[in-house]
Amino acid sequence: MNDTAMTPNKIIVCIKPVVLSASGGTARSTDSYELNPFDRPALEVALQMKEKRGGTVIVVAMGPEPSAFVLNEAMAMGADAGILLCDRALAGADTLATSTTLAAAMKKLLPVDLILFGTRSADSDTGHVGPQTAVLLDLPLVTGISSVDALRNGLRVERRIDDFQEEYEVSFPAALTIHPGAARPRDIGLLGMVPAFEERKLTIWGLKDLGLSPDRVGESGSATAVLSLSKTQRTRMCEFITGSTDDQVDRLLDRLLASGLL
Amino acid sequence: MDTFLSEKNRAVRRSVRSFCTREIFPIAREIDHEASFPWEVVEKMGKLGYFGIQVPKELGGAGLDSMSYVIVVEEISKACGSLGLCVTVHNSVAVFPILTFGNEDQKHKWIPPLARGEKIGAFCLTEPNAGSDAAGIEATAIRQGDHYVLNANKVFVTNGGVADICLIFARTDLEAGAKGISVIVAERGTPGFVVGDLEDLCGMRANPVTSIRLYDCAVPLENLVGTEGMGLKMGLAALNVGRTGIAAQAVGIAQAALDEAVKYARQRRQFGVPISQHQTISAMIADMATQVEAARLMVYRSATLRDKGEPFSQASAMAKLFASETSSKVTDMAVQIHGGYGYSKLYPVERYYRDARVTRIYEGTSEIHRIVISKGILEG
Repeated sequence: MNDTAMTPNKIIVCIKPVVLSASGGTARSTDSYELNPFDRPALEVALQMKEKRGGTVIVVAMGPEPSAFVLNEAMAMGADAGILLCDRALAGADTLATSTTLAAAMKKLLPVDLILFGTRSADSDTGHVGPQTAVLLDLPLVTGISSVDALRNGLRVERRIDDFQEEYEVSFPAALTIHPGAARPRDIGLLGMVPAFEERKLTIWGLKDLGLSPDRVGESGSATAVLSLSKTQRTRMCEFITGSTDDQVDRLLDRLLASGLL
Repeated sequence: MDTFLSEKNRAVRRSVRSFCTREIFPIAREIDHEASFPWEVVEKMGKLGYFGIQVPKELGGAGLDSMSYVIVVEEISKACGSLGLCVTVHNSVAVFPILTFGNEDQKHKWIPPLARGEKIGAFCLTEPNAGSDAAGIEATAIRQGDHYVLNANKVFVTNGGVADICLIFARTDLEAGAKGISVIVAERGTPGFVVGDLEDLCGMRANPVTSIRLYDCAVPLENLVGTEGMGLKMGLAALNVGRTGIAAQAVGIAQAALDEAVKYARQRRQFGVPISQHQTISAMIADMATQVEAARLMVYRSATLRDKGEPFSQASAMAKLFASETSSKVTDMAVQIHGGYGYSKLYPVERYYRDARVTRIYEGTSEIHRIVISKGILEG
């Protein structure tokens, strides 16, 4: 088999529209959302793979209609098509219900060679969705990938964890979560705007399209519920020590000794 | 304000704002101080399509609308007036005439490298004795065989120090007055093409504004854009587009000054409270914000009319007049709100104040604009 035959022909990147600011009662608009910064490196890895070896990159997101904007932005960066999973029944989903929804979308997109995720999201920060979706699809998964190399029969990937580096070989189809340091995401330039907004296809799939029942998704399909959300109080204090350098050193040492830190 | 923008326009704003915040604003003070042109950033801007905003995709551009163009210029100018100037002049008065009046060969030869920012364009009309009176230019282009021989002394050429493709306004018919003026492209490197020293200007210091002098500079006859004698008509068409860009630039600078003034007024305390709580200051902020908003709406209206294919020269002239005058007022008020610190180079408002001033002068002074606008009303 030659290299080209084993190039991932269809790469799906799951991206999350995260809310920029959520002031109470304000209707959310296009400008309320941004593409989760932790998903951008995953998209970049996919786009680089496509540029080197061809194939198609499809971005998939779940959210209300205005959040489709992040799919347009991803298409402006080079993704070929975008799919928004959008239905009132999907609201209030925890990570399990989200993964169930994404997995249903992936099944509709089969055959898929590679599914990429960021490692986590800038808002809820759980890191669950990539692994859970892979499990639901029964796909091999490697997390926290820092580099990807194409092989004749799949990919060689590196995973960095603490002071160690692991190498894996994975065959298609597979799922990966991409470490934020794996690739520097490209700027969204003007050249991609017309393709993103006027030429490439943005599809919206609701619950019926996904073939899911309402009890498996959204709030009712969630295994967990957030009971309350409140701002934490910061107790750290900042103190400036002034004076000559010698005075500052003396006073700093006194403070550190007095507090038991030295 | 954003009610008027399409999703595409919003995406353009977000992407350019993000780039400018990260790449342009952090160097704006330094390049102003050193009067240096930031090639490294300009190359990145070229790759992102900033130099071919409305150039069709098949010629290497982004193929965007006029609304996107004014948004890009506003956002860049908010971070750095000099680079906003470079981009607006390049896109409007340099690229636009070739795209609109050039033949296919000219478009395919000059537009792709201009659209990618690999070559920079300039518009060379002003001379020591001809500014507002454009018909008074003295530059000549005399046919000799298969060449025009150009002799010109063009001054205050925006992008002059870095321009590769210069649109030279010159007399091809010495007897025909205003109808004897043509536009001929002279490329840097042609024998007799001389770039003068950098002008030591009050503002827009990171734009390499120079004179360009042509001494018996022979260029092929095929460098004539349009036909002989239509130079002034092309110049005015280009300036109609360019003026909306300058207006957008003025709005960007004014918005930057307003943002800084708001930030400073909230943090600066006098008489025991932030100065934003003093009515004199809060009233200034209200006036500044209202005027910036009004100016921006006029820019958007001009761009929208152009996008719809409707006449926009009056709207463009009004937008340019109002936005540039507004920018001067608003940046002046921002300096005032900053007090002594506003007069210091420690804060960016003094740069905005200097940069805003010239928007009332170039691409048609405020005085010429009042004549143009009043003629449109009284004689239209």
